[in-house]
Amino acid sequence: MNIFTRFLLELQEMSLLVARAARGLFRKPRYFGETISQMDSIGVGSLTIIILTGFFTGGVLTLQTYQTLASYGAVDQLGYLVSVSLVRELGPVLTALMVTGRVVSAISAELGSMVVSEQIDAMRALGTDPIRKLVAPRILALIITLPLLTLVADVVGIGGGWAVSSLLYGLPSTMFTNSVRDGITTDDIIGGIIKPLFFALLMGTIACRKGLKTEGGTVGVGRSTTSAVVMASIIVIIADFILARALQLILGTQS
Amino acid sequence: MMSQASIDRTTGPSDNRVSEHAAESTFREVDDSNRAIPAIEFRDVTMIYDGRKVLNNLSFKVMKGETKIILGGSGCGKSTTIKLVLGLLKPDSGQILVDGEEVTNYSEDQMTRVRKKIGMIFQEGALFDSLSVYENVGFKLHEQGVPEEEVESEVRRMLRFVNLEDAIDKMPSELSGGMRRRVGIARALVGDPKIVMFDEPTAGLDPPTARTICELAMKLRDLEDVSSIFVTHEMNNLDYLTSEYAVVNEAGEVVFEKEGEKLCLINSKVLMMRDGQVIFSGTDESLRKSDDQYIHRFLRGH
Repeated sequence: MNIFTRFLLELQEMSLLVARAARGLFRKPRYFGETISQMDSIGVGSLTIIILTGFFTGGVLTLQTYQTLASYGAVDQLGYLVSVSLVRELGPVLTALMVTGRVVSAISAELGSMVVSEQIDAMRALGTDPIRKLVAPRILALIITLPLLTLVADVVGIGGGWAVSSLLYGLPSTMFTNSVRDGITTDDIIGGIIKPLFFALLMGTIACRKGLKTEGGTVGVGRSTTSAVVMASIIVIIADFILARALQLILGTQS
Repeated sequence: MMSQASIDRTTGPSDNRVSEHAAESTFREVDDSNRAIPAIEFRDVTMIYDGRKVLNNLSFKVMKGETKIILGGSGCGKSTTIKLVLGLLKPDSGQILVDGEEVTNYSEDQMTRVRKKIGMIFQEGALFDSLSVYENVGFKLHEQGVPEEEVESEVRRMLRFVNLEDAIDKMPSELSGGMRRRVGIARALVGDPKIVMFDEPTAGLDPPTARTICELAMKLRDLEDVSSIFVTHEMNNLDYLTSEYAVVNEAGEVVFEKEGEKLCLINSKVLMMRDGQVIFSGTDESLRKSDDQYIHRFLRGH
């Protein structure tokens, strides 16, 4: 089977997985408790790394661009530059990548271990569909929490940018905040929330698919976890480009 | 067909010694109307995996109340066979019937209904790591939304059956290998399925624990009228299951008696597989008399 056929086959399997998970959401029994606990472990559990990532990314943006802006006499645009970079691009992508490292690997390893220890077969034998019980709550929890985590990263990142500009470079706070307020548009924010919705769907699907098709014992679990993280990271970056272009066309924003 | 062990209790000389309670639990009323329909039937089932025929035109029947012991070396298709019964795998050709109902092409949703009739015991127990023993055994009932009090009484009843009531609050990681299998058996028996699959339930266990697992299988066969497939490659399992039967004594306790002059077990049959094909089907006595070199080596180990 050549690479193209394998790719199409994989795409088909992932689409079917999403379709079955989506159908499962509208039928009984519904797994609200499972979804909430996944939201807790994915969302609340990732908060610390997202806050740290956001803060230092905002900080380093200021650090790297301050001198350049100063040489053009455009230091008053610093807040604009930092906030637009974060809200449109760095916030969604970095959050997705951090969550990929933490959550996609965990989901894939968990489902993979359940496959090799026959727990998935046991669940099916007991009359429960693992796609509804395990896959749907995980994908849904990611779709709900990733945009929220992105918002947190954006806000904390802007805070990081402000902290560096005022504490390190002594820029007046009002100059930074005014430039953030004047520069950022509603379309930027909408775009910054639409992206993580798609990222979450892709990441969740890849994690679950890779986990569920694990073969070959514990070595297989390692293999599927690695390939889930690699694939999800690459897909996030590619999807980011496609979404950025699509949003430019739809919302009329210019990057 | 009533299990021979039970028949013996009605006609044998020891009949007058059976207490009322024992008689009641031994002779549960059985609906005979469709006992001629096999509990499980395979018709020319072929399964190909990675270009290799894992099962090649496999055909056999498991009658109601019968235990079919499937013997064979590793990789001969034993575990695949029982996964096919549950629809966990799908065959490439042939038909699979459960209680006379053809399930070969059933969707996952349709299979869910069929699976309610079947209990499955996995090789390593396959307990859910993140759930306690109580939650594992009660999993099916929790999924069906059964009230908590009923779940608890059923879980306790099942754990008593496998003699593990004390472990109810433990996590699977705290259990020994044998205990995990027994919890797996308790979980599979919730809802009193009339068909039970054992997938090498004694592999890797010490002899007394392996014996306990076989005793549970005999209790199901002789006292609960359960049809089962017992996949194994261990000879002592074959000896236990084909030479002993469970009865309830005067004190109401379950005891195991050897088949002998007064009774010959007819509710345990042996099926031997090699490379996805049946090479023997019949009673253990005729298996031992077989001239086949492979069977000889398998039974004696050399």
